[in-house]
Amino acid sequence: MLTVKDLVKKYPKSERIAVDHISFELKPGEIFGFLGQNGAGKSTTIKCLTGILPYDSGTIEICGYDMKTEPIKAKMNMGYVPDNHSVYEKLTGREYVNYVADLYKVSSADRTERMDKFAKLFRLEFAMDRQIKSYSHGMKQKICVIAALIHDPKLWVLDEPMMGLDPQSTAEIIAFMREHCAKGNTVFFSSHNLDLVKKLCHRAAIVNDGHLIDILDLAGNEENKQKLEEIFFKATGTYDARLFEDYASQESADVRPELPVEDNASNSDEKVEEEK
Amino acid sequence: MKSDFSFQSVKTLFKLDLKSRFGTTQKIGVKNRLMQVSNYLFFAVVYAVLILGIVYLSKIFINKANLEIGFLTLSTMVTMLLATAISTGTVIKNLYMNGDNELLLRFPVSGTEVLVSKSIYCYIHNLVVCFATMLPFYITFGVETHAPVGDYFSYIAVILFSSLLPYFVANIIAVPVMKVMNYVKNQFLLVLIFTIAAVCGAFVLYMSALSSIVDYLTEANKNIFSAEVIEVYQHFADNAYPFNFYAYLINGKRYADMSSGQMALNFLYLLLINGGLGALAFFITTKAYYRTILYGIETEKTSFKKKVRNRKRNVFHAILHKEFFLILRSFNYSFQYLAMACAAPFMVFFCSRLAVSMGTKSIGATIMPGLMLMIIIIFVTIIVSFASTSISREGNCFYLTKVIPVSYTKQVLTKFFLYSIVAIVSVAVCCAVTGGYYTQPDEEGISVLSKTDVLSIFGISEMVVMALTCLSMWADIKMPTFNVAGDGELVKANKNVALSMIVGMVVAVAYGVFAMVFSLLPFNIGEWHIVRMNNVSDIYVALSVVSAVLLAASATLMFVKLNKRYQNIAP
Repeated sequence: MLTVKDLVKKYPKSERIAVDHISFELKPGEIFGFLGQNGAGKSTTIKCLTGILPYDSGTIEICGYDMKTEPIKAKMNMGYVPDNHSVYEKLTGREYVNYVADLYKVSSADRTERMDKFAKLFRLEFAMDRQIKSYSHGMKQKICVIAALIHDPKLWVLDEPMMGLDPQSTAEIIAFMREHCAKGNTVFFSSHNLDLVKKLCHRAAIVNDGHLIDILDLAGNEENKQKLEEIFFKATGTYDARLFEDYASQESADVRPELPVEDNASNSDEKVEEEK
Repeated sequence: MKSDFSFQSVKTLFKLDLKSRFGTTQKIGVKNRLMQVSNYLFFAVVYAVLILGIVYLSKIFINKANLEIGFLTLSTMVTMLLATAISTGTVIKNLYMNGDNELLLRFPVSGTEVLVSKSIYCYIHNLVVCFATMLPFYITFGVETHAPVGDYFSYIAVILFSSLLPYFVANIIAVPVMKVMNYVKNQFLLVLIFTIAAVCGAFVLYMSALSSIVDYLTEANKNIFSAEVIEVYQHFADNAYPFNFYAYLINGKRYADMSSGQMALNFLYLLLINGGLGALAFFITTKAYYRTILYGIETEKTSFKKKVRNRKRNVFHAILHKEFFLILRSFNYSFQYLAMACAAPFMVFFCSRLAVSMGTKSIGATIMPGLMLMIIIIFVTIIVSFASTSISREGNCFYLTKVIPVSYTKQVLTKFFLYSIVAIVSVAVCCAVTGGYYTQPDEEGISVLSKTDVLSIFGISEMVVMALTCLSMWADIKMPTFNVAGDGELVKANKNVALSMIVGMVVAVAYGVFAMVFSLLPFNIGEWHIVRMNNVSDIYVALSVVSAVLLAASATLMFVKLNKRYQNIAP
């Protein structure tokens, strides 16, 4: 479904190689997580494979189409949700989704059916005919998701998709990711949420400083699932025993700090002093 | 928001404001520093040219027309009206529309403190404008009339005093203007129609007035400094209240034989006018400021509802449709592009009419085709310059143009089609209206333009329109300027707009001068000769060939390696 081979990307006027010989392959029906710290190269990789950024060397193939030689066919099979949820704010939600549907040559019947389904699913029916300018952060994210899915893409790429979404919408997106993959499609998403990746993904890749450190099998490997946090912290070079224990204990223990005990007697004393 | 008032907070806010406008904490490179210095130099040169113009004009009025106090009144009036217009814009932009209002409301400062700090900036801006425009007039006046040294001090005092009135008026006007702007926020078509009507109306009025003056001077065989015309100026200046009171303040005794009592009375009138308007401005602003900005913040996201059917369009139509609505639903864009495109035929027609009445009478009808060609290209340049932001205007959504399964060439071609078609239609209407009017024979059976002239001008202009559109888009693809803040709208013109305007103006002047000069002069290049107007086809052929070459070159520039250049754009 998606094959990335020896991908190298260096930004102009920068000494650092943002993506350094990264290779991986995504299978049909798979949910693939892409993990890494801020600035590790996750978004750059995603921008290269969606065609936003040119890359220096390597190959990217989507459904067998090379991104450099057959970009239109490759893009036709992909839906992308950006991390900054940028959309044409002067259009209404429906106008925007229709515009994207036109570009992907979706028939009127299909787009109507899908638009109604997704608008209902993400509880955006009331806002579809309103200008996007009036949308909240989460609503913009939802309209991006709807636009990315309107052509029923084989590969669905999401860059930190859950940011700013309400719990209900997060749950709906997770449910839809599962549904999408069950039909033989593939989902590729970057995230900082290790817990979500652990529960949802079949496999996950960890990148650090432009390098692919490891690809972990999460579907059939309980140990990887159990130790994902530890592996991540170690792979990214941020492992600190005390901090990690703190992080791990957060899942089981109550980590709320104690509320200060109100001392009524001393408070009233202070008030008296102030009044004086 | 706290409710008390502290000068310390005002001072801090004012310093913060200045720092955000002029201060920079980042080190800028040599290239940028050079750009900055060249910008300052350019500004200094423009201002120097303006001063030279003022000095030249002032000398004529003072020495030739012998208008002394009348000149002071007229120059004070013009500069104060200009200052009022600029000040109104500054007040609206800084007090009501500035994006930092929401930010400042979160700080522990009161609305009054924010208002005062911003008002100080607006007033200082207004004061600088008053000094920059009035002082050259006054100093030239002083030099030319050998004014005593004391008068120079009174110039400064009068400028300081006269800077108040434009500021007060601007504050009074700003609130209703803002109310109207809030009211018509989402009435895009209405605003566009109103803008077109306003632009056309103002231009027609201006040109009609100018034309009447030219006709009056020509028909009555009077020049602008004949005794009767000077008397009209003087009469107008004598009745130009309250601007003449400011002029009398300078040295009414010397220039208008006024008594001290009369001068004191004039000063009292001015004090009353300023006091009244100042009080009104204070009352309106303090009452309306907080409410207006709060309303602006609260309704910033209000939008319209529009039900559309889920209709399938082809890719070309879809991009065209989206592009058009993004322009129509933005005040800035629809004014810059659609309003100007609609108003251009009016402007070309009235400019040509004035040019005909002036040019043909002084030089002859032979220059008319060249003049019309120049006027059309100048106005079309303004419309076409909009294409030089075609990529930059994508802003935050630029990524989408890379992700969609549509080739970059197709996307750019669709945009090229939209931008050139509007200009092409505008040129066609310009030629139809102006050509239709001037191909009609007069009483003697002679027409100013022939059908060949109109068709040739049309053909040449259309080629220039497409060439300029290609060049503008090429410049933007080469170096786009994305605004990634807010809604991504480009409010300020970027360097590509300036470049396309300059190229357009140069082409317009070059074509116009070429056609005008060679329609008057016989010209030979070896065996080949371009002859006079009775055989203008050679000029048209020459310009058509140049335009075709220009079009081919600019199209090549834009489309060759387009995919690679587009792919390399990384916002």
